[in-house]
Amino acid sequence: MLALIKVTGNSMLPVYNEGDFVVITKIPLFLHCLQKGDVIVFTRNPYGILIKQIEQIISPDEIYVTGTHGDSLDSHRIGPINKGSIIGRVILHIPKFK
Amino acid sequence: MIYQLIEILDKKVHFDRAQAHCDIPCGIYDPSTAQIAALTVVRMMDLMIELEAKGEKNLSYQNSMARYIAVKEEHAEKAKHEIRVIWGDYIKTQHIEKHSEVMELVHKIMQLGSKSRQTCDRETGIQFVESINQFAEIFWDTKGISVKRAKCPYSPALEMVYPNL
Repeated sequence: MLALIKVTGNSMLPVYNEGDFVVITKIPLFLHCLQKGDVIVFTRNPYGILIKQIEQIISPDEIYVTGTHGDSLDSHRIGPINKGSIIGRVILHIPKFK
Repeated sequence: MIYQLIEILDKKVHFDRAQAHCDIPCGIYDPSTAQIAALTVVRMMDLMIELEAKGEKNLSYQNSMARYIAVKEEHAEKAKHEIRVIWGDYIKTQHIEKHSEVMELVHKIMQLGSKSRQTCDRETGIQFVESINQFAEIFWDTKGISVKRAKCPYSPALEMVYPNL
């Protein structure tokens, strides 16, 4: 129900840096009550596994995601994310540098 | 400590990667990341100079100096990267026509970033910050947003360009 994930890329700077680890929960209860500002890990073709922040929950099934850094690939470009594609919600951040 | 342990574990089991993907332009650009990275370079130079002045060349000294150098390296490269992204993905012909100095300025930033990595010359670091400030002024002008200059409220307390939002 928990998984360790390594962050690559810079779209979640300044909070999540390249090389940071995050712990995500896959427990359905946690995924059911997602809120704006939560950071989630999800799949999106053709990009694979992405990590983004929830910008807006637009319907029971769809959400908008965004990066926290300029030049982010997010819902402004790729549209809403289906909740079914969510792998987990970030519950712990293990930064590379403190 | 926890990070290092997980990093070792990762080399064995290779955890999944989640991309904070940036390849497609989204229209969100901001030079502040580069400005802060350049400030960090000067801060690291200051810490290196302070540490050297203590004259204690023990193991603790070597550890601290190595960390300062590593962070200086990282942030000088980060500042260059951020400027390259704005330059390559955001700056358009019409911006260059209005601010013809921007091409030379970007080249100067790249050189100063490299020199900041190669040396611990504080004056180079200050020029690095100032050049990126000038780039920020151009960037915000292309957005039609005025700027102000103020000293950042933390060390190294150098003058920064901030947008009037």
